[in-house]
Amino acid sequence: MDRRRFLRLAAGGGLALLAAPTLSAFAAGDGPSPPALPKDLPKWLRNRDTNHVFWTRGRYNFAVYKIRPLALDLNAVSVGHAMAYEDLVTGKAHRLETETFARIDRVLKNPPRFAPSERFIGNTFSRRFGVLEQVFDSAHLLHTQTVDVLAEPSMTLAEKEAEVERLYQVYRTTLPTAITPLPLNMGYLYGQPYSRAFRDRFPKVNGLFWGYHWLQSAMYDVLYGHNLSEQQKVYEIIGDQYRRTELYRTDRFFMPMTGEVSPRFAARFPELANVFDNLHMLHDMVNDILVTPWLTEAQKDEQVTRAIWLVMEAAHAGHRPGDSPEPGGWRDYRHMEGMPGMGLMPDMSPNAMFMQGLGWMALGECHHCSMPLPEGAEAWRAHAVTADGWTMRVRCPLCARDMSLETKGRAVLHLTTEDPERPAVLLSDDRGNLTPASDRAGSVVFLEQEASHAACHEWSQAFTSRAAFDAFVAARPEYRGAKALTLAEWGERTGRKPDTYFRREGPPGNPFDGKAGGGKEVGK
Amino acid sequence: MKSTVATRRAFAARLSALALAAAAAASLAALPLPAAAHETDCPFCKLKVVQDTKEQDNEVALRYGRKRIEYRCVFCALSEAQTPQYPGDLTILAPSEKKGQPVVIERRGGAWSAPDGTLFVGVRASHDHCQVTYRAFTSRAAFDAHVAKNPVLLRDAKPLTLAQMVELAKPKQPK
Repeated sequence: MDRRRFLRLAAGGGLALLAAPTLSAFAAGDGPSPPALPKDLPKWLRNRDTNHVFWTRGRYNFAVYKIRPLALDLNAVSVGHAMAYEDLVTGKAHRLETETFARIDRVLKNPPRFAPSERFIGNTFSRRFGVLEQVFDSAHLLHTQTVDVLAEPSMTLAEKEAEVERLYQVYRTTLPTAITPLPLNMGYLYGQPYSRAFRDRFPKVNGLFWGYHWLQSAMYDVLYGHNLSEQQKVYEIIGDQYRRTELYRTDRFFMPMTGEVSPRFAARFPELANVFDNLHMLHDMVNDILVTPWLTEAQKDEQVTRAIWLVMEAAHAGHRPGDSPEPGGWRDYRHMEGMPGMGLMPDMSPNAMFMQGLGWMALGECHHCSMPLPEGAEAWRAHAVTADGWTMRVRCPLCARDMSLETKGRAVLHLTTEDPERPAVLLSDDRGNLTPASDRAGSVVFLEQEASHAACHEWSQAFTSRAAFDAFVAARPEYRGAKALTLAEWGERTGRKPDTYFRREGPPGNPFDGKAGGGKEVGK
Repeated sequence: MKSTVATRRAFAARLSALALAAAAAASLAALPLPAAAHETDCPFCKLKVVQDTKEQDNEVALRYGRKRIEYRCVFCALSEAQTPQYPGDLTILAPSEKKGQPVVIERRGGAWSAPDGTLFVGVRASHDHCQVTYRAFTSRAAFDAHVAKNPVLLRDAKPLTLAQMVELAKPKQPK
C-alpha cells in the first residue's frame, strides 16, 4: 500500500482497523472456536415477537424531570446507545469513531426533551436482536423508575426504599428477561475470547458507552437520601463532570461499577447494583461480539444469545451471593469485601480493589483513615465524598472534608447525622469552600476533637442541630466542654494525616490488563 | 482473610477506647500542612505520587484556596498551575534538599515569586525520573551536589531560575 493511500485511510478512520493486528489476523469463520452455546436454553431466548414493557403505575413516574438536566442527559444516552448499535449492524462500523461519534456527540450536547424508544432509532438492531432489546428495555425501565422514585419529593425515605424494592420485585417476577441480582464475576465475563475488542478498536465510542454507564451508576448517590434542592445542586456538579470529562475519557481500564460511583446506594440495594453492573457488562459483551472480525454473522447471533444467558437470573437459580462453585469462572458469586453490590473485578481478590487514580483499597474501609466502615443495619452511618468522578464512603466528617480538600475540583460531601433521614449535604467549590446544598444543612453543628482515627466516628460527627449536639455531649463525659462548631468554623479546619492510615499494596502493574494478581489474596 | 478483618476490628476497638480517653485530655489543634492521607496518582502526569521518605521529601503540594493537591514533581505542579483550572493566587510547596523545608513558590496577582537563591533543575527526560530531573534547591551548592549525584540523567544540567522553570513548565498550546 502506498503511503498516501495509507494516510487517507488513517484520516478516514481506517487507522483503528489497521492498528488492530490481533483482531484482523483472522477472517470471519477462521478464528478461534467461539464459546459453545449452553444446551437446553429456554425457548423465550429465541422468540421473534415484539414484546414491550411498560411503566409500573406510580405517582412518581417522570419525577426525574424535576431534575431536568439529569432527565435530558438520560434522554440523550438512549439516543447514543441506539445510534451506535444501528451503525454497528448496518455495515458502518468503519465510521464509528468519526461520523457516528460526531452525530452522537451532537445529540449529547443537544439532548431531546423526551426519552425516545431505542427501537425507532436502531430498528435494524432491534429486528435482529429482539430478545436482547427486551432484556435491555426491561432493565432500562428499572433504571428509569428507580430514578423516578428517588426523585419524587412527596415520598419519605422509607416510602422510597419500599417502592424501589417493590419495583425490583415487579422486574424480576413479571418477565423472564430479568438479569441476575447476584454479583457476577466480572473477570470471567470480560475474559471471553472476544472481550476488549470494542474498547481497543473504538476507544472514543467505547468511552461514550462507559460515560453513559458512569452517569447511570453515579446518579443513584446523587438522588438517594437527598431532598430535591440537594439533588438539583449536587447534579450541577455531577452533570458537569459527566458532560466535560466522563463522556470523553478514553483512558479507563474497565467500565464504571455502581459500587465505585454510588457506594451508598449499592450498599443499601446490592441486588439492584448487581443487576445494573451485569446489564452494563452485557452491553460491553455485545459491543465486543459485534466488532469481532473472526466471528461470522451467525456466530455473532449465537454469541449474543449466549451473552444474554450468562447474565440471566434463571441461569443462576439456586445460588446465593458468596457462593463459588467455580472459583474464577462463571459460577463465582463472591463479591468485593465490604461491598455486596459489586462482583469480583478482573484479576482481583475480594479483599483488595484497584481504583484507577486512587490505587488499591478495600471497599469496607475508609480510604482516608483505613478504619472499618459501618456495616449491615449501621451502614447508613457511613459518610461519603464525591470528587473527580468517584465517590468514596468514609468514616467521619473530618475524613470527608479532608479527602475533598486533597482532591482537585468541586466536591460533594454527604455527612450523616443522628437522624437517618436528615444528612447534611455540603458542596465544595474548587477552592475547598463549603456551602450547604439545602436549608436543612444550614443548621448543622459539628463535633471535632481530633485524636486517633481509631475512634474518629466518635470524635468527629455532624448533628442536625445544637440541641442534638448538646444531647450527645451530655451523655458522654469525655466530651464535656466540647465546642459546637458551626459549618463556617468546621470548614476552616484541616486535620492531621490519620495515624491509622496504611497503604494497601497490590500486585505491581495494572490489574485490568490480565497480567497482574490473578485473583490472589492481596496483603497490606 | 476473615481473621485479618476480625483482628483489625478488635484492634480498632482497643484503639478506640484509648483514643476516647486521649480525646478527653487534649483537644488537638489542626495543623496547617498535613500530608495527604490517601496516596493517589499525580493529577497532571497520572503517574504515582512518590511519597516522602525519612531522608528526603518528594511530594509536591499545590495550595489553591483551602485545597491542597499533591503532584509528582515541581514541573507537574507548575504546569497545572498555568492551566485555566487554576486562575488566581496559589502556592506551590516544592521539596528542597532539606527534609521538612520545602521551597515556597507563590503566584500573587499573576506574579511568581520564590525565596532568594532558589534554583531548579529542569531536564527533559522520561517522566519516570522526574524526582531527579525536576527539583527545587535553596542554593547553588545544593543544585551542584544533586547534579553530581546524578551524572547520567543530569549530565548537561544548568541551574534554572523560577522564571525559566515557569516557562519550561508552561503547557504547550495545541497547534
